Amino acid sequence: MDVVLQSLAVVLQPSHLLMLICGVVMGLSIGILPGLGGIVGMTILLPVIYGMDPHSAFGLLIGMVAVIPTSDTFPSVMMGIPGSSASQATIMDGYPLAKKGEAARALGAAFTASLIGGLFGALVLTLIIPIARPIVLAFGSPELFMLALLGMSMVGVLSGNKPIKGILAAGIGVMIGALGDAPAVPEYRYTFGIDYLIDGVPLVVVGLGLFAFPEIVDLLIKGRSIAEAATLGKGWLDGVKDALKHKFIVLRCSVIGVIVGFLPGLGGSVVDWIAYGHIIQTTRDRGKFGQGDIRGVIAPESANNAKEGGGLIPTFLFGIPGSGSMAVFLGGLLILGIQPGPGMVTENIDLIYTAIWSLALANVFGAILSIALSKPITRLTVIPFSYLAPFMVLIITFACYQATRSWGDLIALLLMGILGWVMKQYGWPRPAALIGFVLSDNLETYLFISVQRYGFEWLTRTGVIVLAAIIIGSLVMGIFYQARKSSKARASGERNGK
Amino acid sequence: MESKFQYPRFIFSAIVIIAFGYGIYEAFSYAYLAKIFPLYISLVLFILAIINFIQEIRAWRKGAGGTARGAADLESEWGDLGMSEVLRRFAVFVAVVIVLYALVWLIGYPLSITLFIIVLYRFITGTRWHWAILAGLAGLGFLALVSKLLYMDWPEGIFKLPWPLG
Repeated sequence: MDVVLQSLAVVLQPSHLLMLICGVVMGLSIGILPGLGGIVGMTILLPVIYGMDPHSAFGLLIGMVAVIPTSDTFPSVMMGIPGSSASQATIMDGYPLAKKGEAARALGAAFTASLIGGLFGALVLTLIIPIARPIVLAFGSPELFMLALLGMSMVGVLSGNKPIKGILAAGIGVMIGALGDAPAVPEYRYTFGIDYLIDGVPLVVVGLGLFAFPEIVDLLIKGRSIAEAATLGKGWLDGVKDALKHKFIVLRCSVIGVIVGFLPGLGGSVVDWIAYGHIIQTTRDRGKFGQGDIRGVIAPESANNAKEGGGLIPTFLFGIPGSGSMAVFLGGLLILGIQPGPGMVTENIDLIYTAIWSLALANVFGAILSIALSKPITRLTVIPFSYLAPFMVLIITFACYQATRSWGDLIALLLMGILGWVMKQYGWPRPAALIGFVLSDNLETYLFISVQRYGFEWLTRTGVIVLAAIIIGSLVMGIFYQARKSSKARASGERNGK
Repeated sequence: MESKFQYPRFIFSAIVIIAFGYGIYEAFSYAYLAKIFPLYISLVLFILAIINFIQEIRAWRKGAGGTARGAADLESEWGDLGMSEVLRRFAVFVAVVIVLYALVWLIGYPLSITLFIIVLYRFITGTRWHWAILAGLAGLGFLALVSKLLYMDWPEGIFKLPWPLG
């Protein structure tokens, strides 16, 4: 309890609050730009946190990532294009509400649901730490290696209708992570004689290349503004009342958000759809969904904010990121000299609680600022993207150059950008690649330590066997489920054809 | 007509096979402890990449789409734009970035990015000259401020210019 209160005192210090608010403001700004979600936002911040006090850096990083699912609602509601992958389902009912002149009501409900969801995620994270502590401490390198493998296999299986593509995308990330010096021996791998590759490709370059570059290109190709109209209509208070009236929907979907956030490979891309699907399945009067039912806004918005709390659990406790943005956060921890994993609960427990308090406060600030600044933000969304694009290019190239301050950063950014764009066009899941990249080093190190310390005996440890069974089970079930879904789709296609 | 623009999909899948194949080949030249991890990973992924390639060809012949949703976050939807036009615009953007890099190599980052902003504002968005120059100067001001406050650096060109231009 002392640690919890001490962390609160740290979070309430003016310097930390300032960083938190800076993160929140940046998160709100990035959230309204379509496609540029938590991954890009956090990656831009990585060069800034070098040498920073970890508590302040946490304020900045968590402040940003916590509120992106709040502000990404603006483009979803105003124009019907998602601000980030976590707000796709919000469009289904948010956009029809805006067309009816009830955008303010939709946004009011969304921000209230986001706030409650975000706070719920922080609460779950608080409760889980003391419970998980003894279990986490029992994990050694072999179990951590298997957990990392489990994370990778889930990324693959849960990557949609092509499990193989998901695994391959994660594998591309792992191999990019394997470039440069080997962790176990003094040997440089796949460097092609290029000095820049000796230390491997930095996370900033991979994150911005795979995610920011393709989104900027796509928006320029489409050549339009984020939204067409800047009228909010009325009904702010009605929206808040709607969210409070449907408090059980908010709570249920927050639970879904935490669970999805916890599972590696799911993350923001599907959490909103799962919550939206859940609310349709469990509602009797479902006739108005898709035409402007406020419950269709509340459900995904509460889930997508709650997932950040869930995502921090495996990131902190096992060093396994639950999503792409958590993968970048993991990289941020390493930059700050913090080794995520079981050691966190003994050596850096104060930092975990700092993160929790920051998460809770950021959600409060995010909701308040979103409501207070809704009019100027809405006006911002009608600016054609071609006006913003040159500044986005400036920010990503400048941020990228800070990684190693060499030309290699800029060249690697362009190459990663082309790779990311092609992956996006042809359905190769980029978050899987990013998670693979971040886990690559850990995977190899844990494997190396396991073999060095236990020989092949590590394969016979109970934890390893249990985790191996889960991996095999999840792979078999995932592939079986996908095969059944494909055969059903084929059968239905044949019936329609007749 | 558009079906030929499915070729990049197969080319990319083939490149993935080649990349993992090269991963196996190159791994053999490393010391034992350095080779184990990339070798086994590449080996498994090489086999999966071949299976994926065959699946893509089969899906294409059956006329099925090949996107993976879920973690594939935002899928691009082009509306009325044909894939050929999309690829052309993508190539133009990449070319613009390469030109920007060449300019950075010559005169350094701050002046290059300022000119980049001015040119894009003037000729792509059709802004008047004075607004375009103002936008460029805003970008330069942002760079100068951030680099001073956060001790950040930028690439210098072969022609050395005084701060904050180079």
